[in-house]
Formats: sequence, C-alpha cells, structure tokens
Amino acid sequence: MAGKLLTLPQRWPVTRQRQATFAALIVVEALLLALLAARLVQVRVVEDRRELVGNVETIHFRREVIGDPLLVALLAVGVAVPFFSGRLRREPVLLVALQAGILSLTIFVLWPLGQVFAQGFRAGPLATGFSLLQFERLLETPMVARATRNTLYIGAMSAVLATVIGTLIAYTLSLTDVPGKRWLRIITTLPLVSPPFAVSFAILLLFGRRGLITYDLLHITSWNIYGPHGIIFVQLISDIPLAALILSAVFASISRDLEEAAEDLGGSPLYVLRTVTFPLVTPAILTAALLTFINAIADFGNPMLIGGGYQVLATQAFIQMIELFDLQLGAALAMLLLVPALLAFALQHWITSKRSYVTVTSGARTGQVRKLPGWIKWPLYGLVLLLAAIDLLLYGSILVGAFVRAWGFDYTPTLENLSGLSSAMPMLRNSLFVSVGSGLLGGVAGILFAWLVTRQKFPGRGALDFSATLMYAIPGTVIGIGYIIAFNAAPYFWTGTFFIIIVAYAFRRLPVGLRTAVAAQRQVDPSLEEASLDLGASRLRTFALITFPLLSRAFFAGVIYIFIRSMTDLSTAIFLNAGRTQLYTVRMFRVMITGTPSEAAAFAGLLVVIILISLGLLSKLTGKSFVDLFRI
Amino acid sequence: MPETFATASITLDSLSKHFGATRAVDTVSLRVPAGSLVCLLGPSGCGKTTTLRMIGGFEDPTAGRILIGDEEVTTLPPYVRPTAMVFQSYALFPHMSVYDNIAYGLRARRMPRPEIKARVEDALAIMELHGQQRKSPPQLSGGQQQRVALARALVTRPKVLLFDEPLSNLDAQLRVRMRGEIRAVQRRLGITSVYVTHDQEEAFSIADQVAVMNKGHLVQLGTPRELYRQPADRFVAEFVGLSNIVPAELLDSNDAGAVVRVYGQTIRSRRPPRRPGPDTSLVLRPEAMRLEPAGASGVPGHVQTLAFVGPLVRYVVAVQDGTLLTVDQHNPDPDEFFVEGTAVSVQLPAEVPALLS
Repeated sequence: MAGKLLTLPQRWPVTRQRQATFAALIVVEALLLALLAARLVQVRVVEDRRELVGNVETIHFRREVIGDPLLVALLAVGVAVPFFSGRLRREPVLLVALQAGILSLTIFVLWPLGQVFAQGFRAGPLATGFSLLQFERLLETPMVARATRNTLYIGAMSAVLATVIGTLIAYTLSLTDVPGKRWLRIITTLPLVSPPFAVSFAILLLFGRRGLITYDLLHITSWNIYGPHGIIFVQLISDIPLAALILSAVFASISRDLEEAAEDLGGSPLYVLRTVTFPLVTPAILTAALLTFINAIADFGNPMLIGGGYQVLATQAFIQMIELFDLQLGAALAMLLLVPALLAFALQHWITSKRSYVTVTSGARTGQVRKLPGWIKWPLYGLVLLLAAIDLLLYGSILVGAFVRAWGFDYTPTLENLSGLSSAMPMLRNSLFVSVGSGLLGGVAGILFAWLVTRQKFPGRGALDFSATLMYAIPGTVIGIGYIIAFNAAPYFWTGTFFIIIVAYAFRRLPVGLRTAVAAQRQVDPSLEEASLDLGASRLRTFALITFPLLSRAFFAGVIYIFIRSMTDLSTAIFLNAGRTQLYTVRMFRVMITGTPSEAAAFAGLLVVIILISLGLLSKLTGKSFVDLFRI
Repeated sequence: MPETFATASITLDSLSKHFGATRAVDTVSLRVPAGSLVCLLGPSGCGKTTTLRMIGGFEDPTAGRILIGDEEVTTLPPYVRPTAMVFQSYALFPHMSVYDNIAYGLRARRMPRPEIKARVEDALAIMELHGQQRKSPPQLSGGQQQRVALARALVTRPKVLLFDEPLSNLDAQLRVRMRGEIRAVQRRLGITSVYVTHDQEEAFSIADQVAVMNKGHLVQLGTPRELYRQPADRFVAEFVGLSNIVPAELLDSNDAGAVVRVYGQTIRSRRPPRRPGPDTSLVLRPEAMRLEPAGASGVPGHVQTLAFVGPLVRYVVAVQDGTLLTVDQHNPDPDEFFVEGTAVSVQLPAEVPALLS
C-alpha cells in the first residue's frame, strides 16, 4: 500500500523532484500528527490502591490514559483518507487544503458537539460508561421540566409570529411601491446586528417599572413587562428582521413571469398568491421559522434581563455550568436544546433540498413591483412604519439614556455616565481583539471551504459541506457548553484563553462566511480559473491571483459580519470568557443587572456606535447597503 | 380538443404606452384578422413586447383601445381576458408537475375534475407529451418545456394566443422544428395569434402578416412577400435582410412605373417613386445580380471576399465608387469561383419591383 501511495499516477509527469515533494509531505504530516498525538494523549502512572499486609504497605500503580485518543484516531483517519484518492494525490495543494478542512471541522465542530452528548450520558466527572443518571436528575427537578416547556413555548411563539410578520414586512419592502423603502429596510434590519439583550434593556427603559412610557407618560404601575410575553416581544424585535431578510431575498428572486402566466391562465390575484407565490416561498418561510426558533430557544441574555424569574433551558444551563459547575447536568440540559435545533435543521434541510425553486432562467424578470389594492397595501405599510418606529424609539432611548443623570428618576443631561466606561476599556480591547481575530479566521476559512465545495470534486464533498454548515443550527449556548466540556481539562486547558473564544466565534459563524463566499464563487465564471490553469499557473497561483481577488469583497463582507456578530455575542461568551479575557458584552450585561440604567445605557450606546461604524465601513467597502450583505 | 376554436380578431386602436418620457409604443393601430398569425418584428426596444403585453393585460395602455372580436378589453385584468400567452422563459411553475402545469388554467376556472383530466390528456396527446405528465419542468428538455408551455396555453381554449419570443432559448435546429410545430397547431386550430420575434427569418416563415416596428411605431404591415419586394423604407429594407441599398437617378416616371440610372445602367421599376424628385434609391437583392468575368457589360468591380455556405456562394464586390455590393450565386460550381481580388463585372437586374423612396 505504501508503495502505491508513494508512486504518483502515470498521467502526472513524474520527476524526481515531484516525488520528493510528495514524500516530504507525507513525512511532515505524519510528524505533525505524532506531535499532536503526544500532546493530546498522555499516559500517566497513577496510584491505584494501597494494601497493608502486616507492616508492609504495597502501593499498586496503574497506567492511566488521559486526553482524547478517540480524537487523535479520528484526526489520523481524516488526514489519511484523502491520500487514497488518485485525483487528490495528483494535486498536492488540493490535498493539503482538504486535510486542513477536515482537521479543523473535526476538532472545532464535530468534537465539541460530540462531547455534549458524551458528557450528558455520563454519571459524574470521573465516571466512565453510559448512564442516564443526568436525565433522571433532570426529571426529578421540577424546574427543568418547567424550563423545557417554557423554552419550547417561547421558541414556537417567537418563530411563528416573527415568520408571519417578517414575511409581511419582506413582501411590502420588496414588491410594493411604498415610499422610503431604502431607509425603512435599513432601520428595520438594525436590531439584527445589535446585541439582542440591548433590546430588552431598551424595552425596560421604555416600558419597565420606571419606564419612560409606562411610568412617566402613562402612569401605569399595575402592569409589568417582565415575564414570557416580555421575552417574546423582545425576541420578535430581533427575529422579525431575520425572517424578513431571508424572505425578501426570495421575494426579490421570484420571476414575475410565473405570476403573470398564472393570471393569464385565469387565476385571480388571490388564487395566484395561494397557488404560485406562496408555494414558491415555502422553503424560505421554513428556513426563517427554523432560524428564529433556534435564536429564541438559545437566547440567554433576554430571559435573564426581562424574564423576571421565568426559567428557560439556556438560563438553567448557565446556572448548572457556571455557578454550580456541574458539567454533566449542564451537558444534559444542552442536549435538550440541541435536539430540537438539530431536528428543525434536518427537517428544513430535507424540505428545501427536495423543493428549491429559485432558479433564474434567462429572460426572467424579477423583483418587479406588484399592483396591490390600497386596502391591502397601506395597512402593510403601516405595519412596516410601526416596526421602524419601535426600532428608532429603542435605539433613541439607549443613546439618550446614556446622557441623563438617572433614567426613570432624574432626566438632567450629563456626561458622567461615560466615565464608567473607562473601567471597561480592557474588556473593550479584549472584545475587539477577539472579534477581529475570529473575523479574519472565519473569513479565510469561509473562502477555503467555499473553494473546496464549489470548485473541486472529491468524494465526501457533501459531508464536508454539511459539517461546515452544521453550526448554523446550533444554539450559541450549546456551542459555549460544548467548548468548555471538550477543551476545559487536560490536556488542553484552553478555557480562559483568547484562542478558544476566537476559534469558537470563527467556527460558529463559518456557515455565513461560507455561504457568502459560495454565492460570490458561483458568480465567477469557472472558465476564468480554467484559463489561468490552462496558461500554466499552478493551483496555488491561480487561487492567489485569480480566485481570491475576485472574491475579496465577499471575504471582507464575511470578516466584518463575523466581527459584528462576535462583538455583540453573549450566549457563547458567557461560558467561555474568564477574568483575564472578560469580554465587553459580558461586562455590559453585569452592569445592566447590577448598575443604574444610565450607566448601562452608556455601555450599550458605545457598542451600538461601534457597530454602526463597522456597518458604514462595510457598505463603503462593498458599495452595497449592508442589508444586502446579510442575506444568507 | 375541438377541431377549431371560437376565435376572434384583435384590433389595436391608436395604442400608446409611455414609460415616463419614453414612448415605448406610439399610436399603433393594427388589425389581426380572426384565425391569422401576425408577427411583431423589430429590434430590441422597438415596443413589440410592450404591445404584446398590453394585449395580454400586463401593461395598462397610456392611450388607445384594444378589442378582441367586438369586445373592448382595454381595462380588463389578465385573468378575465380570453388570451393565453407563451412566455419567453416559458414560466412553467417549478413546484408543479407537467400535468399540474397544464391543468392550472382549468383549475383556476373551477372546472369539474373529469373534464380537466380529459382536456389535459388531449393536450398531452396533441403536443406529444405522453409519459411526461408526472415529471417536473426542470427535468424536461428545452423543446419539451416549450411544448408544455404551449399546451398549458391551449387547454384554456383562448380566443387569442400570444407568443413572446418563445423560441429564443432553444438552439438553432430545434428552433426551426418548433416554429413549424407552432405554425401547424395554430393553423389546425385556426386560432388568432400574435407572435413577437426579432428574427426576420422566423417571422417570415411563420406569419400570415408581419408588422415591422421601430422606436415604438408600426412602420409597415404586410405579407412577408410584400415586405421583401416593396419595403416601405430603408429601415424595413435593412431589417428584412436586403443589404444593397444604392442611390439612383430618376430618368422617367409615370403611373405604370419608372426608369432610373444606377452605376451607368438603366433599370426599370414596376412602380413609380413614392415622392417626386430627381434623386431616389433602390434595393438590389443579392440573388437578383450575377457576376461575369471582367470585360463583360455591367458594373466593373473586384471581389473583396467570398464565403461559400453550401447552396450558394456569397461575394462582396467593391464597385467603382467604393460601395460594397453583396452578390449571391446559387448552385455554384466550386471550380469556377471568382477568388479574392479578381476583377469582375456585376450584372444588375433589368427590372426591380419598386423604388425605395
């Protein structure tokens, strides 16, 4: 076998040099793998038991393997398998790129997720073997049963409402001729890129116990926003734009010809809507429902801030993992989150792969304004305006709140809240460092995977694509939990390092970087690369001189997207950061719970300003409205 | 399917469509007799598709009226007009099977199920689509998709069929075959049709009458033969593929015809010039001229290029004043080609059907 692997297939012009390069590659990779194995698997001699026979105490030792031999085995297989493809052996660059892809996905995606399952079925920290103890413990805790029900309730309500309203908003903003669409689209998309819990904080400013509207304007004291309806309301603010974004892309791509043909054949407008337009957007509606559902069940910040003691799985998991440090119970809770998310992902994947119709044929006209009767159009427009007004009010209250003495009590203008920010500068630096790092890493990985997935043919391409997209469906809290479980102990000890946060963010957002790059890659005519190869440029040279420059916009869009999402994340950060690596959002969250509203508003305001600057930069760089860049 | 449809004529009365300041269609009046097929022919942007879409009800005319038979349909929405359109992109519903696509218009009319089935089966048979009804449109070839689109339009038994460049997504050979099929079905059912194309050959081969449009205006309406023999102006002459338009000097004219001088040769026209004046121009059709070796009587020139395309050899000859004339020699003998650079004498026809202006 080794002989077969070492000789190159006949079609390749076999020269000594090429063969030497190929042999060197195998040796170097084997060495690297061995080094990694030595790091990941250590055999220690530990004391097993002591026996006292008479006066003589015998100490029995045993060898103990610590670390992850299973991971090493998986990695070895992942590195070795590509060597068996003759096609890959002829293309060393492709081979190495594929190996890098397999390795990184195995370590940073599949392994942590697998660990959630492994730990959830373990009886205790040192136990081995399969056990359902954790689930028995969960069943015994009435709190968990309630949290599960609550989570599903919040998830279902948010998903249904956000999808319905988001669909109406998307339809209005893509296919009707109402005034001010450009700005309305930007305003209604903003909540998507701000930290979600900033929304619930702003809602508290306006509608809380001492809220500007409820207390100062309406003098309501009997009603309060805390509880499930508050959580759902807050969730809708950020989930409606998500649903609207997904659907507007599809509405804009439906060929007008199809609807005209249906009308021409005698279908009345409502009949056409029911039989043609709606079925065509069904896959997108399912995607929107899935993503908003995952968002809602995964969210940690909002239920903490506005739940008023209403327990959901994410908050329960946080308490078990971080406050009580019960990894196994936390993992079992994470599984409860993971299972519905994976089921929803599989369902959505199955349905969209079976029925995806957005194919643009030549001569098809898309994105044209539909004539709608006024009694339908203007109420829809009113809905859009209402949403935009709420969004403006929320952001306005944050920015104003930062400059008043004590929100709710004393609205005198002041700058003193900003002084509280100076203590948060180290955290801001941490956040910027981590977000830039994960942006770059995720961007590079996105381009690499997109190149592998769209341009190259090799066995197992579908599996690679699936693994790289999987994180899309994983709640952020579960990712945090998975990383802690997988990399907390020996031999890694990665918890508390910047490295683990950067990697977690990069791989969590990889699906979006990948999709953006794939879309850009599809725009580029493959014959450009073929021309370069044909003219004698190597794969590497072609990638550097042709592929990458043509994809650079997609690359930077991906980098900035991941940057923004990392700057505003709380669900993953709360599990992964530690004293030295504390992140800005975590600090801000604590200030919101313990500090005064005005102090917290200063924190949120600064973050919103940073995000707005990044968005401006993004638009400038790509020459597009940022709204278009967030379409997945 | 019945042998003939209840069909009707189409009348466009001073129809205009303005998009802002652009006059996409400018006071077009046209009558399509019941049962005939009229082609709207013209370059892109000439207003032909806009005219068709106004007939179908997809654009509201800025001014003018549209009648189908005696019924005015100008303001009716598309779904109550007795028209059916075959789209350039076919517009087959990708989420429905072939059967469901064809049945769509019948279901929209709430027709009883057995009758829908009977009519769809009928259409499948006529369009030779048997065995395809369970497939989804992307699984079909371009020609089959075209047939489904036509079947879908026909089952609703429209009074008028509209075609919007229906063959432009097919390759050349299939295009020729499909246009024959479309024409055959249209003739057999005797259904009034309007067919938009920018391809002169397609228009000539399929139409009873061709309406040439330019910049929103209807320039000339006539049978293919009329357009070819008596083009109304230079635009029509060039668009229907007559490349040699030469200036001529009017020597004599009366009601029976005219005599002009072209490159020193006299040519008779069977019709008098349209406007008075000493200067006129005429079309010399490539197949109406012949080449002789130099020295013979005729217009001296020399061969600039020749292209052998099988049934004919096409010469481009530069004559004395530098003008290039295209001359076709049919059924050529490859041993007797005039090679590039050869001095030749161009034999002009003694008589032309009409003068251009």
